[in-house]
Amino acid sequence: MAIASAAQTRLRRKSEQRLSPWLYLAPALITLVLWIYWPLVDAVRLSFYQWNMLPTSPQTFVGWENYTRIFALPKFWQALRNTGIYIVGLLPLAVLIPLAIAIYTHDLPEHSRNIYRAIIFVPMIIAPVVAAAVWRWLLDPGYGLANQMIKGMGLDPVKFLSDPNVAIWTVIVITGWKLMGFSTLILSAANANINPSLIEAARMDGSSKWQIIRDIRLPLLSSTVLFLVVMTILLGAQWSFTYINVLTGGGPLGATTNIYYLLWDFGFSTMSVGWGSASAVILFLGFGAIAFVLFRLIDRYSFHDN
Amino acid sequence: MTTDAIATPVFSKPVALRRISDRSGLNSAAGHLLMVLLSIFCLFPVYWMLVSSFRPANTMFETSLWPTQPSLDNYTRAIDAIPIARMLINTLVFSAVSTVLQLLTGILAAFAFARWKFPGDRLIYTGVALTWLVPFQVVMIPNYLLVAHMGLLDSVLALILPNIAAALAIMLLAQAMRGFPREVIEAARMDGANNWRILWEVLVPNLRGTIASLAILIFISTWNEYFWPLLLSRTAENSVIQIGIQMFMTAEGNQWGPLMAASTLASLPVLVIYVVLQRQVVQSFMKSGIR
Repeated sequence: MAIASAAQTRLRRKSEQRLSPWLYLAPALITLVLWIYWPLVDAVRLSFYQWNMLPTSPQTFVGWENYTRIFALPKFWQALRNTGIYIVGLLPLAVLIPLAIAIYTHDLPEHSRNIYRAIIFVPMIIAPVVAAAVWRWLLDPGYGLANQMIKGMGLDPVKFLSDPNVAIWTVIVITGWKLMGFSTLILSAANANINPSLIEAARMDGSSKWQIIRDIRLPLLSSTVLFLVVMTILLGAQWSFTYINVLTGGGPLGATTNIYYLLWDFGFSTMSVGWGSASAVILFLGFGAIAFVLFRLIDRYSFHDN
Repeated sequence: MTTDAIATPVFSKPVALRRISDRSGLNSAAGHLLMVLLSIFCLFPVYWMLVSSFRPANTMFETSLWPTQPSLDNYTRAIDAIPIARMLINTLVFSAVSTVLQLLTGILAAFAFARWKFPGDRLIYTGVALTWLVPFQVVMIPNYLLVAHMGLLDSVLALILPNIAAALAIMLLAQAMRGFPREVIEAARMDGANNWRILWEVLVPNLRGTIASLAILIFISTWNEYFWPLLLSRTAENSVIQIGIQMFMTAEGNQWGPLMAASTLASLPVLVIYVVLQRQVVQSFMKSGIR
């Protein structure tokens, strides 16, 4: 009797165990499927149709036409090139300069470091729209502080946001402004984590300051640096979306449009769902391939001291 | 995922071993200079926003570092132009509800991953992790259509819906729960606690540090969200403050004073959280990466 009931409980337990994880997972999984996975599939489907988003108008199947027309579009290639410029332009601001600062300031006293830390983190928590508004005001061609100073020096005002050659760099610097302090903090933390006895030992051996940086600090920081580089490549152009949207609208003449902004433009300004979805699919595949390669690289090259 | 790489204490205390070398005087002066320059670069735009918001219209274009005739003029103009209070409340509801829901679904899902081995668990976990890499711009059109189909365009509820669950919360919590000592859980089981009670009475209270830091992160990033509200907004009354700010920047011209006032109001809650919980805010952002 006792044995039977024990077996029964065990059986009940087992079927309960089989079901339980799914019950706990359900709310999260349903949300992710509904708002991310199903939309991905739907984007693929819509990329083969022509449709203007009005429920009353018909969806016409057009096959690969959306794709071939996008690839034939100069605007697409311009946006792709700009995406590359964003990434290359952001790397010094989001990785290189923070790395130099983190290494250079590693021996500042704890107390003042905490103060600097508190200040340079501020841009990270400021809303992108607020950042865009403030920079728009600072860089206004007529009355902005920057141009008032430039004019004060007797130079011609710079059209930071409406000169096609300058605008993209302006957006890059603003995006970099948001990230620089944060990257510096991450790299400083990694730098402070390096076992000081390694540095001490090298110093005893008569290594110069530069040798210590080159042979100890940089290799030990490489995984953090690689992580930041990967983030910049994967997300860099995406971070600038708000600034492009608020500050330049992708212009002048498409000079600041990157691939993310082009998606938005196709989907919601031109109301062409097919084009928008097709470029979303292209972006997703490209993005996925790059992410895959980069994460493999991280796995292979990350380097730990313990 | 790789966010572990940066889950290190911020500026962890230099170990006692380290000596201040003799020639560090000049170097550290240069180091201070570098940090001061970076600090100015980072803080000045925010400072300029505050100062400009207190300049009345007739002195808007002056370049003094302090408003010569400080006034609240811009704030009253901004409040007259758009329903700022309503928009701030909407933003608060959007952020607070999203935070609570994301934590809730995250805690439940993380518990499933940490507590059981079940067929397909690794696959599902990878599936969750991968959503972190899907750019929102890729799924925005179907998401928009879904909301339109539900008849929820232009509502705060629709803003919340895709934010009910997020990969980041699930992954960070699963990590924390896996690190939790098994013996404690076993002891609770011996006492006859079922899974539900173990989760809420043992795990959650003990993980409140992680949960709090996650809450800060989710709240601030939801508060600052712009793209999704931009897609759904039709009327100011049903929108968030980030959209309100945008209304002062039009092709016809910018109303600089009210724009700076509205930006200040939109930043104030986040800045207050930051001033009060500075250390925790920095920690939680660094622990969970950039997104």
